[in-house]
Amino acid sequence: MSMGKFLFRRTLQGVFVIWGVVTALFGMRAVSPGDPATLMLGQGATRNLIERVREEEGLNEPIYVQYFDYVTDLLQGDLGYSWRSEREVEAMVIERIPATIELAVAATVIAILIAIPLGVISATRRDQPADYGATLFSLLGISTPNFWLGLMLVLVLGVWYGIPYPSLGISSDLSVRFGIGFIDLPTGRRGAGFVEGLMAIVRDGSFDELLTWLRHVTLPAITLGTYFTALITRLTRSGMIDEIGKAYVTATEAKGLPGVLIRYKHVLRNTMIPIVTVLGLQMGTLMGGAVITETVFNWPGLGLRLIDALSIRDWPLMQGIILFVALMFVVINIVVDALYTYLDPRVSVE
Amino acid sequence: MPRKDRSTDRRTFLRYSSIAATGTLVTTAGCLGDGDEGDEGDTGDGTDDGDMSDLDEITITLSQFPDTQDPLDHITGDYFDVYDHIYEPLFDFEPGEGIFPRVVDDWEAQGDGTTELYLRDDVVFHNGDDLTAEDVAWTMNRTLDPDIGVQSPIGTFGLGSIEGAEAVDDTTVAVNYSAAPGLAEFEFGNYARAMNKQWAIDNHDAENGAIAGSSADTFNGTGPYEVVEFTSGEEIVLEAFDDYWGDEPPFETVTFNANNQSSGRVAALEAGETDLTINVLPEDVSTVQNAEGVEIRRVTSFRTVFCPMKNTVEPFDSQEFRQAMNYAVDNEGIVENVLSGFGEPVGQPVAPGINGYNPDIEPYEQDVAMAESLVEESGYGGAEITLTAPQGRYLNDAQVAETAADQIDQLSNVSCEANIVEFPVVSDENSAGVEPENIEHPFYMIGWGTITGDADYGTQGFFTIPDNPSRTFDDEELSQAILESQQMEDPEERTQQLQEVMELAHEKAPWLFLHVQESIYGVNEQIQWEPREDETVYIWGMS
Amino acid sequence: MISNRVKSNLRQTFRNSLLPKVGVLLLATIVLMAVFAPVLATHDPTRTGYFHENGGPYPPPGFDYTTTVAQGGEIGEVRITATSEHLLGTNTVGQDVYSRFLYGARVSLLVGLFGVSLALVIGVPFGLVAGYYGGRVDDGLMRLADVMLAFPSLVLALALIGVFGQQPIRIPDPIVMGSEYLDLGIASGMPESIPIPGSVTVVVALVTWVWFARVSRGEALSLRNEEYVKAAKSMGEHNGAILLKHVLPNSVTPIIVLATIQIAVIILIEASLAYLGFSGTTLSWGYEIERGQDVLRTRPWVSMLPGIGIVLSVISVNLLGDWFRDALDPNIEGSERGA
Repeated sequence: MSMGKFLFRRTLQGVFVIWGVVTALFGMRAVSPGDPATLMLGQGATRNLIERVREEEGLNEPIYVQYFDYVTDLLQGDLGYSWRSEREVEAMVIERIPATIELAVAATVIAILIAIPLGVISATRRDQPADYGATLFSLLGISTPNFWLGLMLVLVLGVWYGIPYPSLGISSDLSVRFGIGFIDLPTGRRGAGFVEGLMAIVRDGSFDELLTWLRHVTLPAITLGTYFTALITRLTRSGMIDEIGKAYVTATEAKGLPGVLIRYKHVLRNTMIPIVTVLGLQMGTLMGGAVITETVFNWPGLGLRLIDALSIRDWPLMQGIILFVALMFVVINIVVDALYTYLDPRVSVE
Repeated sequence: MPRKDRSTDRRTFLRYSSIAATGTLVTTAGCLGDGDEGDEGDTGDGTDDGDMSDLDEITITLSQFPDTQDPLDHITGDYFDVYDHIYEPLFDFEPGEGIFPRVVDDWEAQGDGTTELYLRDDVVFHNGDDLTAEDVAWTMNRTLDPDIGVQSPIGTFGLGSIEGAEAVDDTTVAVNYSAAPGLAEFEFGNYARAMNKQWAIDNHDAENGAIAGSSADTFNGTGPYEVVEFTSGEEIVLEAFDDYWGDEPPFETVTFNANNQSSGRVAALEAGETDLTINVLPEDVSTVQNAEGVEIRRVTSFRTVFCPMKNTVEPFDSQEFRQAMNYAVDNEGIVENVLSGFGEPVGQPVAPGINGYNPDIEPYEQDVAMAESLVEESGYGGAEITLTAPQGRYLNDAQVAETAADQIDQLSNVSCEANIVEFPVVSDENSAGVEPENIEHPFYMIGWGTITGDADYGTQGFFTIPDNPSRTFDDEELSQAILESQQMEDPEERTQQLQEVMELAHEKAPWLFLHVQESIYGVNEQIQWEPREDETVYIWGMS
Repeated sequence: MISNRVKSNLRQTFRNSLLPKVGVLLLATIVLMAVFAPVLATHDPTRTGYFHENGGPYPPPGFDYTTTVAQGGEIGEVRITATSEHLLGTNTVGQDVYSRFLYGARVSLLVGLFGVSLALVIGVPFGLVAGYYGGRVDDGLMRLADVMLAFPSLVLALALIGVFGQQPIRIPDPIVMGSEYLDLGIASGMPESIPIPGSVTVVVALVTWVWFARVSRGEALSLRNEEYVKAAKSMGEHNGAILLKHVLPNSVTPIIVLATIQIAVIILIEASLAYLGFSGTTLSWGYEIERGQDVLRTRPWVSMLPGIGIVLSVISVNLLGDWFRDALDPNIEGSERGA
């Protein structure tokens, strides 16, 4: 099968999946408790007004008509209006994408920067203290819920930070206990994002904005990235062990190529295949993790908006965000499949 | 600023206290802000230049960022904190005192269910248009008349007995209402705002019919501040409006943002990222006190927290059972421990300081034996009930509910557990009415801020029967007593009637009465400002 | 069912490496803790109001603190010290932290077990039938699975909570009930039943069943071509009987491995939902972490201990899963995790 045909078929499948997601979301909204008109208007709306809104929004129509209208609107790119803020859902989703992508990319970068060297060390020093350390770390990383990790990072680093900056130390109960100042780690994304930070450097050579961004993103990114760091460390380790045992590595070594090069070029390349696949599949975990991490750190991304929407039962907004996440998932997995064939010539598109 | 008789009564005054930076027990009556102004306490005018702080820009951190751009879309305190600076109230409202002139210069009841409001003639909108009586009338009507294009849904809770408004001439608006003038005054005094009719129709009456958007242009009021930057869900930046008719506001630039975690708000305050933050948890009070340059300011709010029991379902149809719930719970203990003392137990629907509050009614005191025998009398011994409560809405709300449920559970003949849910669940229940088939959570926790300062606002939505499908309690006698009070023209007679309503409510126990909570603020010491009982934060009250 | 070869593999892996031993020991401890919570607990975990006489919760030893209380119009500072009555202190509503830690294990494990059982009951028959019959049923299942996998598990769980609400269910406690007949030294006033998040249990099953369906489908797909299945068919055995007698027993191993991994996933989802305040009940490690978040600086112990509980139980289940996987190598796909 040619690449074009493969992509066509995968896209068709993707469209089907998205239709399924749309239908599932519609179904959930239809059976969920609470009258949409009342939810839309909030407390205190008169019966008259509620009835009128029901009429206007087509809520009195039979369910299949509502479904048909919903799908028709979506096909025209109309995600509807938020029940609460009455803004276009599309705009409300789009404005939150950069913050979530910043966080997700930062987390992934941290994960890759730490995990691959750690995995390599672990695989090449099997059954040595370094290996045990890496194994323990990845076990902990996989098993720690990230909301708790985030809180503990704030707690512990907040205390430690007090040591180098005693003048900033703010006395609190904790500082009394530990005898040192407690400085508050920044939470939430304030001011400029990553792109604005870069632009500020180009524009007036100031690194301030980028540094502010970095200061704010570090803890959330570590919180979100720890699970992936642990996962990739595991995968790299087991992948490397498999590959090292294979014949071609021993052969290249005989030709006198330095060991380091072999490790990084051949072995790692082959190890990357399962890692990329798993990362594609774990997109969902990344998004789920982002929901939690954004909540812990008040990071204004899609996840935080989803939780806000959920807690006031703003279904159109929820639907819009979830639909976007599902769309990302489908697209990324098509890309990963394509990448897979590129990374591993032995696999043909099938 | 034109204000009549700004005499704050002494009792209200005594509740404010300033905290010295050392954190020792210091209370000075009437001593506000920096604590060196003696008894004057008048920080509201901002005319006394000597007391002005050096701040030019301030940041205020709320707990919830407004997710609507229409100032009259939802009744949520945090939203008004922001939007009142852009769309100013037509009247100055003083908690417990009444309304004073602002955009409305003067007003007169016509004696036929109409009051005429006379507007100032020098008020302009941020986009340059002049304010006319037509704008004011339209703004009121859009909450009342479903046929107006750009609808505002705050409806019954917003304007109560107001039936409509009409422009008589350029600066005169006639407001019609069905209740006594005194009551109507409380209502329009609170919710009357001015929006630009033509601007709203031109810009916002397209397909959605709502005032919504994501840029600074989505806002156009007559207030002392105009919007210069708006990042939806994150931040709104205001700058003093050059053509404002009144006094120049105390700070050139004001930024509002929000953080729903108390710890996050306190951290921002300590780090100097914000100058004023609301809803500081009692647990964080000492942190703020011990921090440099910031301090705690607090006041007992007009908000009561309580648990309605819908009397159309068992076992809450028994008055003995409802009273038993009140005897089972240790309000004093909850306030002391769960709220660290930052509250006050109450035994009636409204808070002290509200017109109609009955000072002779003592809160129910915990008496387990009494509660158990009342349950036996009610015939509902062995009942299993659930207390449904929200989280993060009121001061330590879920914790209060969990404690109350556990105390009820400790009765030998009732078992009770707490069910913690998102706020819309209890809010839905609160408007679901008393038809048994619509009731999912007959026993739930909610809070109500009687922001009009009049007990009518704290009771009629819950207890009156006619035209009120979302009442929470069905009792002819209580309903009748409230309806009678609404028709009384003599203020003193009305107050007395309302106090009788309180007594009736105490006796009939339609709610598990809990407490009035304190509003606790963390404030930059340089800002002179006294917190208000109605939970509003007005920048023009600072300096 | 489980063959001798499988059993010996398990034994061998267990003997040769350390981690499975740690996992089993840890899990056994947690299970015992959960089962005997009423015996080990010193206080009713739902009883509120254990506060210091100055107000405020008791700290664990070493965490003494100073706090502010309001009395009338005045604010004063008071010192709160630890007590031997509450070894690990009390939380913000004055409940005993140690007792809640024990009962938290019970809630986590119960939701994990019930959730996984429900997912098994939905997923396995569905998967077996789809794999065995193939054709439209199979296509339908696979497409449905694709759709479900496009939702992040936690996000799907949150959306489903919007549908199912936050209803708790009460689980009676046989140990406390039995103590009428048998003296186990249970402190007086232990609850006869505890609430677990019912809607959450259903929701986690609805989120995870599809993994079971996929795995059992794969097994059925390969087993239907096995000689003994064909033989049974040619002898005129009923399809239903073949599925029950031949296909199901031979698919058990990979399903058990998956179930183990999924318990860890479910424990994390439950904790996350409780943390976000969407589970309806308060007796949960996740909720306790949430409760402690706002007082993290001043009462850090409230969120510290429950987090350790979650980490240890997830680790123990994961170690068990690793052991099974290493020994049996069923080659099943990794699944998503909850948080």
